[in-house]
Formats: sequence, structure tokens, C-alpha cells
Amino acid sequence: MNRVHSVLRRWSTRWLFPIVALMLGGCAGPQSALDPAGQGAEDIARIFWIMVIGATIIWITVIGLAIYALRLKPGPHHRRRSGVWIIGGGVIAPTVILTGLVIYSLAFLPQLLARPPEGSLQIKVEGLQWWWRVTYLENGEPDFELANEIHLPVGEPVEFLLSSPDVIHSFWIPALGGKVDMIPGRETRLTLMPTRTGTFRGVCAEYCGASHALMNFTVVVEEPEDYQQWLAEQRSPARQPAEELTILGRELFVSSGCGACHSVRGTDANGRIAPDLTHVGSRHKLGADVLPNDRASFERWIRHTDDVKPDVLMPEYHSLDAAELTALAAYLESLD
Amino acid sequence: MQTTENDPEPLPEAPPLEVRRTQEERLLKAWETPKGWRYWSAVNNSEVGLWYTVASFCFFLYGGVLALLMRIQLAVPENTFLTANQYNQIFTMHGSVMMFLFAVPIFEAFSILVLPQMLGARDLPFPRLSAYGFWSFIIGGVFVCGSIFFDAAPRGGWFMYPPLTSSYQSDVGADIWLLGLTFIEIASIAAAIELIVGVLKCRPPGMRINLIPLYSWYILVVAGMILFAFPPLIAGDILLEMERAFHWPFFDPARGGDPVLWQHLFWIFGHPEVYIIFLPSVALMAMIVPTFARTPIVGYSWVVLSAVGTGFLSFGLWVHHMFTTGLPGVSLGIFSAASQAVAIPTGVQIFCFLATLVAGRVVKSACLLFVFAGLATFIIGGLTGVMVAVAPFDFQAHDTYFIVGHLHYVLIGGTIFPIMAGFYYFFPMVRGKKLSERIGTIVFWLVFIGFNVGFFPMHISGMMGMPRRVFTYPAGMGFDTLNMISTIGAFILAGGLLLFFFDVVRPRKNEPYSERNPWNAGTLEWLAEIPDKPWGARSIPEIDSRYPLWDQPNFVRDVDEGRFYLPDAKEVLRETIVTSVIDARPIQCLRVAGPTFITVWAAIFTGGFFILATYHWWTSAVISGLLAIVMLLRWAWTTAPIPEKDSKDVGLGMTLPIYVSGPNAVGWWAMFITMTADLTAFMSLVFGYFFYWTVHKDFPPEQHQGPGVFWPVLSLVLFAASYGLTLLSHRWNREDNAKMFYGGIIGAAVLSLGGTAAIIAGPWTTNLDPTSHVYPAIVWVLAGWMALHGIGGLIMQLYCLARRAARRMTAKYDADIVNVCLYWHFLALTVFITVGVIAGFPFLA
Amino acid sequence: MSRISDPEYMQPTEEQDRFWILFASPTIWAIHLLACYITAAIWCAKFGETESAFTTVRIAFAVYTVVALAAIGWLGWIGYQQQRRVTDKTPHDDDTPLDRHRFLGFATLLLSGLSAIATIYVALVAVFIGSCD
Repeated sequence: MNRVHSVLRRWSTRWLFPIVALMLGGCAGPQSALDPAGQGAEDIARIFWIMVIGATIIWITVIGLAIYALRLKPGPHHRRRSGVWIIGGGVIAPTVILTGLVIYSLAFLPQLLARPPEGSLQIKVEGLQWWWRVTYLENGEPDFELANEIHLPVGEPVEFLLSSPDVIHSFWIPALGGKVDMIPGRETRLTLMPTRTGTFRGVCAEYCGASHALMNFTVVVEEPEDYQQWLAEQRSPARQPAEELTILGRELFVSSGCGACHSVRGTDANGRIAPDLTHVGSRHKLGADVLPNDRASFERWIRHTDDVKPDVLMPEYHSLDAAELTALAAYLESLD
Repeated sequence: MQTTENDPEPLPEAPPLEVRRTQEERLLKAWETPKGWRYWSAVNNSEVGLWYTVASFCFFLYGGVLALLMRIQLAVPENTFLTANQYNQIFTMHGSVMMFLFAVPIFEAFSILVLPQMLGARDLPFPRLSAYGFWSFIIGGVFVCGSIFFDAAPRGGWFMYPPLTSSYQSDVGADIWLLGLTFIEIASIAAAIELIVGVLKCRPPGMRINLIPLYSWYILVVAGMILFAFPPLIAGDILLEMERAFHWPFFDPARGGDPVLWQHLFWIFGHPEVYIIFLPSVALMAMIVPTFARTPIVGYSWVVLSAVGTGFLSFGLWVHHMFTTGLPGVSLGIFSAASQAVAIPTGVQIFCFLATLVAGRVVKSACLLFVFAGLATFIIGGLTGVMVAVAPFDFQAHDTYFIVGHLHYVLIGGTIFPIMAGFYYFFPMVRGKKLSERIGTIVFWLVFIGFNVGFFPMHISGMMGMPRRVFTYPAGMGFDTLNMISTIGAFILAGGLLLFFFDVVRPRKNEPYSERNPWNAGTLEWLAEIPDKPWGARSIPEIDSRYPLWDQPNFVRDVDEGRFYLPDAKEVLRETIVTSVIDARPIQCLRVAGPTFITVWAAIFTGGFFILATYHWWTSAVISGLLAIVMLLRWAWTTAPIPEKDSKDVGLGMTLPIYVSGPNAVGWWAMFITMTADLTAFMSLVFGYFFYWTVHKDFPPEQHQGPGVFWPVLSLVLFAASYGLTLLSHRWNREDNAKMFYGGIIGAAVLSLGGTAAIIAGPWTTNLDPTSHVYPAIVWVLAGWMALHGIGGLIMQLYCLARRAARRMTAKYDADIVNVCLYWHFLALTVFITVGVIAGFPFLA
Repeated sequence: MSRISDPEYMQPTEEQDRFWILFASPTIWAIHLLACYITAAIWCAKFGETESAFTTVRIAFAVYTVVALAAIGWLGWIGYQQQRRVTDKTPHDDDTPLDRHRFLGFATLLLSGLSAIATIYVALVAVFIGSCD
């Protein structure tokens, strides 16, 4: 089986992918399962293309036969002779093809579900309405926490421990591999193995309420040294504000009660309900990959939360005037 | 064509014209459709079937408009045409309406309309049950669909996954879905019972099991599937509604529940559902293809194989909707393998059609165009279906637009196109006039192109990572163009459907009637006269072939001249022939019910129960429910009246009994089938109990004591005694031992009451609090289910008592108690399992 | 050829035929599928941590499959015998008790074939998957 598999793999990397890439150059994208950047996604994309080619051949054959029967045939065939169509096309061909496919797909399943080697990177991710709590684990213990962004070293397997405290979500990074649901009361696992660097997009794939469409995250696959540097930055407490504006912003953060829900490590804010903001300024996007990370977006989020993300738990802060809003946004932006 | 020598032949000479006139007058009078406002009291299959078809088609249009709204929203990224909550209501309703209010009902509607014609029967065996089903359907459907105009529609998706729908949506939407659709599911089961008994017992004499039209085979299989598929969902609905209304924690992990149980129950229903929708459309093709190929179907037995095989295999696939829930690989493998096996019978039936086409002389028609469209698109859906059955691929494809594309290729290709072909095919039979071939060709091109333009790009957008059920998407992910194309395609498709709709409803006053049997088909439904007569067939023929109109000489003349069975209605009553299951030997002249409003009232009060319960108006809901039971009993009271004579001459020298009880009677079959469905729902609840046992380390949990042993066992003993006495009463009734009968049945009723009280006393006296943990909750549900059935058994015992006292049941005419005994066999099994599980299993665990 | 003159052999009565035999093989498939699934689910849930759990599952799969295939094969054989009564020629499209009898036999044979394939597909899982992960 493994021989067949490696032949297929060689064959597909040499011929299949380039041809297909030519055909569907438009399939690239930060969220595309057909532009794989991980082991699982590559394997699945290969199965996909093999099946697409097989299916196309089957479809053309059957439709060809149908057109022949409907329009082209010179005259009625003998009934017994046409019965051969049933045995050949209806029984033998599907049985042979499907048996092959069943064996191939079953043989392939264990490696996709296999646990990574002992000591591999582990990340705990919780899906919540409508954001992701990401906890990096060190020997099974929480190391640090962030939200809506995951960094991974290239070429190393990583195991995600997935759960949800509210409703069912599904954790999916199309470019890296398949999805696994996050189910309240259970812990599910997913192993991925990024094979090239880049910035990708993850999404929630299970309908989870009003803003299901707005529950995304950023995945950055980087070289090990970049990754180590990022880890070090994330572990450190939040940067102290230095400018007048950002200092005012921090005061407003405290006085508005933001810390009841949000945490900013290194300050008194230690809420656990909402995303950790310790390094929010360093993230690629805001609001679970909904807004760009800039001051205007912070302002919009705080003032028009429900417009940006319908039914979200966070209340809109209308009590802040324009200057205060700017200060608060500037403080958050400075938390890089 | 070869037949046995002793088959009855039609009368060698037609009865004199004078006699035929009087016969026809009497038949017309017996089968007359009521006029004026009383029209709505009609129960005849041709009326109810037509209403049913029109209603489900209207729901289809409603669902289609919802689809267009979604396509407008998704045409461009970050659109604000709809809000998130509007969109979520709309996609939930689109799925629910198309599945529950269109796809399943339209097949039942079609079948109610044409099945009796196809079987040469005057009507289905239980016309009032069809009418009740229809009225329930329309009440429930309008209730569910109307909610969207009050911004109160369900928004949990058509799959309604808890805990989103149990704890995170407190508005009434989910209740509307659960109760409104449960109500409709009951109506669907009612229609399924009707159709099964119709196919098995109401065939024309001589139509052996190897001669029945393929459509009937499919209907038999599909109706059977409904019996096993819908009850698990009803069981799930009960659990979810109990959680919503009374906080019983079936799906709340904090109190021992598990949301995955819902997924099992939903998909045990949900996957067969796809085939329940798809197979009737194949059935239509199996009728249309031979007609236009001008040759009998090639491989009849093979088609039967695929119908039955697909029906069975479709129950082994449900977990493939749960491939990403983190189940062990071995479970994935089992269901992945089974999902691929189901493609084999599907392939067989497609090649049977191709073989028939290649063996015949194909006549061009719009009808066949739609069959071709159906094949070409369904095969794509089938192939992508095999792809997603490969579990690893499904890890990527699951819950993306790839699936949206796949399922629409299956459902539109496999269902809508064949249904449109069916409209073209059967329209002349129902309305007396053909649909336009010219418009039909335009419609074909519009829907075929529109459909493919609309749905093919979805496969690509799905593979590019676009998840399902998103109300918007960001620009720059590569989805923009694909979605715009999809929207354009959807509108072309809608344009085609609109044109089709116009052709169906446009006035045809000036058009001449089409000729009789316009397609020159070979099956019985084309005996229908144009314009149609209410009696179905002028006389009920003896069948010697699969295509009697092609093979039996002078067939139409013989039927029309009343040379076969039942050419007359001497007593001016509605009569049809009941036959045996395998060889269709005539065994009864069945009198079926005529127009009545009781079914409308029964449906209104049943609907009232569900609708009022939605708003938690418990008192009025219970009153409405009791009124519904009263109506149903009143209805039952008039069934199976004692005839004025034992038997009747049905023509051709055959005399048949008018009253039959036991396994030969249609009522017995209906009871048997109903109880099979009921037992399936019960077993789903039992499955729930053991599911909780597998997911918990300790179950029953230590801190919760169970219902004890004493009360459940006492209940078991009391019910066993009641069961025994009921069976004895049956015998005493047959022996005409009135004293013993009355004593026995009263004793049995008292024991039932005691048994019911005892099973409730179990969890009651041990203070099991169903809101505290899932264990007491599931015990309460099982005990409650058994208690309700105990009350049902009690009512039936009292009913038999009353029937005998009112002389509606005698020693000889004893169908009532025979059927009640059958109910009690099932009840005994329910009691045994319930007590075994709630009182016995804790010792094992 | 005496059998040909035997009316009971040539014209089997309705009572001699069983309608349910059609559904017997797929029912066995369904029981086999459920048995495999439930065994695997319970074993992996209750004893998934232990090494030997999956061996038990595999043995169970093997036993179920042998039993199921034997039963399906037996039904298929009955169907085969039934469909070739008097003659080997298919089809059986006429209005005679013999045709009906042979039709039921042939359909039983076909359904047994399908059920056997589907049963083997399910059994293959135990060959390729070797753990509770």
C-alpha cells in the first residue's frame, strides 16, 4: 500500500499538481484547500484531484452512452444485448472502482488521524461565540494566551486540543489540513504539519449563531527563529504606555471596566470572558479577522460593536467622547 | 406474454347499454365530489392529492424566493442587503421548507394522486387519513413559514444543532421548528402508512408482485423508509423541546447531556431523508423512460434490487455527516465504506434506464429532456457524493460550499428535474391538457443552464475555503467572482422555473382536451378518461402484464364497458378491491369513506396542540389536544361499520366478503405499520439511554438513585396481566361470551390504569429530578413514554367495550379488538424494554 | 422430467413464497453494520486506553463478518435455486406463479449479492484501521 502511495505521490507532484495549477491558477488564496501549505492538505488535495479526474472520465462515459442511446443509435438494440449494459456499467464497473476507492481511502485514514510524536508542540484552542481563545502549552501546562491568531514553526507537527464552552464550532485552516469540530463537553484533537511559510486564514466551519461568518483567525507559518522570537514577545507582559495619549487611554481602559472581561498581562486587567489583549496591537487583524488592525478600527469596534459583529456579547461604549475614544484606541494599538 | 390458464377473463360481451348507464349513474353518485363550500370536505385521492401537490409546490416557490434572497446577499462581498439574523433565518427556513414542506410532501402528494390510478384502485384504503395528513400539513406549513414575517423564524439551521438551539436561542423560533415540523412529520408518517397499505393490499386482481409498476416498488420502499427514518427525529425533537421548555438537560454537557446525541438522531433521519426524496424521482423516471422508449423496462428485477438495496443501505450512512466530530477512525471507516457501497445500486438503476433507452425506439419530448437533465446533473452529484464519502476528503469539504454544490446537484438534479419531467408527463392525466412542448424546451434550457451556472462554481468556492451558512464573506479570498456567477445562474434558473410555473397555471379554456393516453403509455394510470371521471377506473381490471395497455388486447374497451370487476355501485357506496400481498388475489370488497369535515377538525385541534405548546400556553394546548383525541375517536367510531350483508358479488362470478378482520384487513396492516414507527421512536429514546452510558464513565451516576425496582416491576406485572386479559377478552368476544368479555375488558382497563400509575410512581417516589442531570431526565422520558402508551392502551380497551355495547362490534365482526390486541403486542414489548432498561440495567452497569 | 408435470413444482402457490425473504439479506447487512459500529464505539469508549482493546474489536469484526456472510450466502443460494426452477432463462416477466416465484428468487439473489459486497466493505475497515484513534 505504501509503495502505491509513494508512487502516486511522486507522480502527482511531478505531473498532476503543475497541470492542475495551470488549469486553475485562480485557486490560490490564503484560505484555499487547493493551495496546500501543510502535509494533510497536500495529501487531501492529491486525493481530490485524482477523484476529480476519475469522476470526469466516468461522467463523460455515462453521458456519452446516454446521448448514444437517446440520439445516435441507428436502431433499437436487442433487449438481451442491452442487458449487458446493466451488468457491465451498473454492476461490474462501479464495484471495481468503488472497491479500489474504499481500500485506498481506508488505507489513507490512519495517517491523517495519527497522533504526533511525543513532545510535539501543543496548542489549546477554544471556540467561543465568535472568537478563538488560543493557549500555547508547555509540557501540557498553559504557557501564554492570545486570541484569534496562531503562529507555527514550519516543518514541525503541531497538535491542537480543541474544545468549546458554549456552542459547537469547527476549527479549520484549509491551507494546512482538514477540520475538526469543537464540541461542548468534549475535547477533540487535530494534528497539522505546515510545510511552507506564509500567512493563512482559518475559519469556523460549523454554524454557531448570528456572527458565524465573522469568526476567523490568522495563521502565520514562519521559520523556527522567527517563531522563537514571536514566542518570546508573546510571553512578555504588555508594553507600558509612554505617550500622553496612550497613558490616558490606559486610564480609560481601567475606568471603563474593560478589565472585567479582558486581560492585559502586566496590568490589573485580568478578565477571562473576552479575548486577551496583552499584545493585541501586534496581531494581523481585529475582531476575529474582521477589521484591519489600526486605530480607526479600534474606534469603530468600541463604538459600533454590534454593527461590526451582530449579537456579540461586548456592549457598545457610547459614553466615551471622540477624544477619549481615540485615546483608548491608541492605547490598544500600542500593545504590540 | 404468458399467463396461467385459470386467470379470469373479462366478460365476453359488454352489458347492455341501458344497464351500463344505470351503473355509471350509481358510480358517479357514489364518487361524486362535494360542491360549494363542502368541496373541502372531499377525501377522495384525486382531490386530496391535487391539493397536496399544489400546496407543496407553493412551499417550493416560497423556499425558492428565500434562496434568491440569499443569492442576492452573497452576490458581492460584505453585502448589507440582509442582516446576519435575517440571513440566518432565511437559510434555516430555506433548508427546512425544501426538505419538510416540499421534497417529502410532493412525493406523497404525487403518489396519493396517481398511485390508485396506477393500481387500478378506486381510492387508497384510508382516504380520511390522507385528508387528515393534508390538513395537518397545510396548517403546520403555514405556521412554520409565516414565522419569518414576524422576524421570529427559527435560525438554528435546518439541522438545529444544540446547544446553540437549546441554550443560546431563547426566542420562539426553535420551538416553532421543533413543534411545527414534528406535527408535519406525523402527517408524513400518516401518508406513508396509507401508501404502504395501498401498494401491498389495494392492487388490481392478478397484479402479482413481479408485475407491479416500478413506481409502486419505489413508493413501497420509500414509505417504509419513512417509518424508520422519521421516528428518530421525532424522538430527538421530543428531547430537544423538553430541554427548551422544561430544562431537562439532554444536550447540556454541564449536567451530563451530550450535544452529539442530537446529531446521531438527526442524521439517522437526515441521511435516509435524502434517499426518501431522491427515490420517488427515480420512480418517475422508471415510468417515463419505458413510455418514451416504447419498450418495457430492461432489467425490472435489477431496478427492484436497487430500490430495495438503496433503501436499506441509506440507513448505514448517517455518520458521514459527522466525520469531523472527532469520532474514532474505525467509526469513520465503517460509515465511509458503507457510503461508497450505496453508489452501486444507484449505478444499477441509471444503467437500467440507459439499457431501456438503447433497446427502444426513443420518441422526443420535453419530458425526456428533463429526464436527461436529471441524469446529467444527478450523476455529478452522485460522483461528488462518492468523493465526500471518502472520509479524508470530507475533512476538507465538510461544511463548505463544495457540499452546497454537491447536495444541490443531488437534490435538484436527482429530484427537481425528474419532478418537472413528471409534471409534463402526468399533467394531461390530471388536467386533461398537455403542457406546451415549445415552452418546455425553453424551460429546459433555462433551468439546465441556470442550474449549472449557479451551482457548479460552488464546488470551486468550497474548495477555496468558503464555509457554508455564512451571511457574508470578505473580498480578496477569491470568492467574489464565483459567487457573482452563482447568483446570476440562480436567477436564470429562477427565470426558467417561473416560465414553467406560468405554463402550469396559465388558463387553458380554449385549448382542446388532449387525447386519452396521450403518450401511448402502457401502465394502468393511463386508463383515466379525459376529462377525468371521479371513479378512477370504470371497472377494476384483471392484470396479466406489467404494461396491460400495451399487452392485453381490447383492454381499454373492456375496462370502459364494465367487463371487469366492480362495474357497479349497487348500494351507492364507495368500494374498491383489497387483494393479497404476493399474488393480488381478491380477498375483500372494501368500502372506503366519503366526504367528511371530521378530518379537518381533527387536524385543526392536533395543530392547535402543537402551535399553542410553542408559546407555552399549556392549558389551551392540553384542551386542544384532548379535543383532537375526541375527534379522532369520533372518526374511528364510524370506521369498519357492520355491513348489511356478509359478502357481495363483485362481477366475473366472484363473491367477496365486505368485512374482514385480522391480517387480511387493511386496518390491521395500518395498525401494524403505525406501531412499527412508534416502536422505532421508542427505540431511539432507548438508544439515547445507552448513548449516555457509553459517553459517561459512571452511568447511572452514583449520586442519583434510579427509579428503584419495586414500582417498575409492579407496573410490568400489572401490564402483563392487562395484556393477558385483553387477549382473553378477544377470545371471549369471539366465543360471544358477553359476560366474560365485559368482565375481562373492564379488568384489563383497571390493570392498565394501575400499571400506568405504577410506572410513574417509580421515578416519582424516588424523587428523581429531571432537571438535575441527564440520567433522571432520560429515565423520566422512558417512563413517560410508557405511561402515555399505557393510557393509549386503556383508551383502546374502553373503546372496545363501548363498541360492543353499541353493537358495532360483535363476535363475528371483531376487527376492533383484533387491532387493539395488535397494539397490545407492541405495548407489551415497550413495557418489557422500558422496565428492563430503567429498573434492570443499573444492576448490569 | 417428471417434475415438469408436477403442478405444484410448476405453479408454486402464494403461500409457498415469502415476501420478507427479499429483505432478509439487507437486514443482515444492517445488523452487521450496527454490530460492528456499536462494538467499536463501546470498546473504544470504555477500554480505548488499553492496547488489547482493538484486538478484541478486530476479532469481533471477523466473527460478525463470517456469520453475516454465511447467512447472506445461504439466502443467496436459496434465491439462486428458486430463480432457476424449471429453466435458467431470465427474465421472469409473465403472469404465472412460476414467474413470480422465480422473480422473488432472483431479486433475493441480487440483494444478497449487494449485501455481501456492502458487508465486505464494512469488514475491510478492521483490516486497515488498527487503533481507537
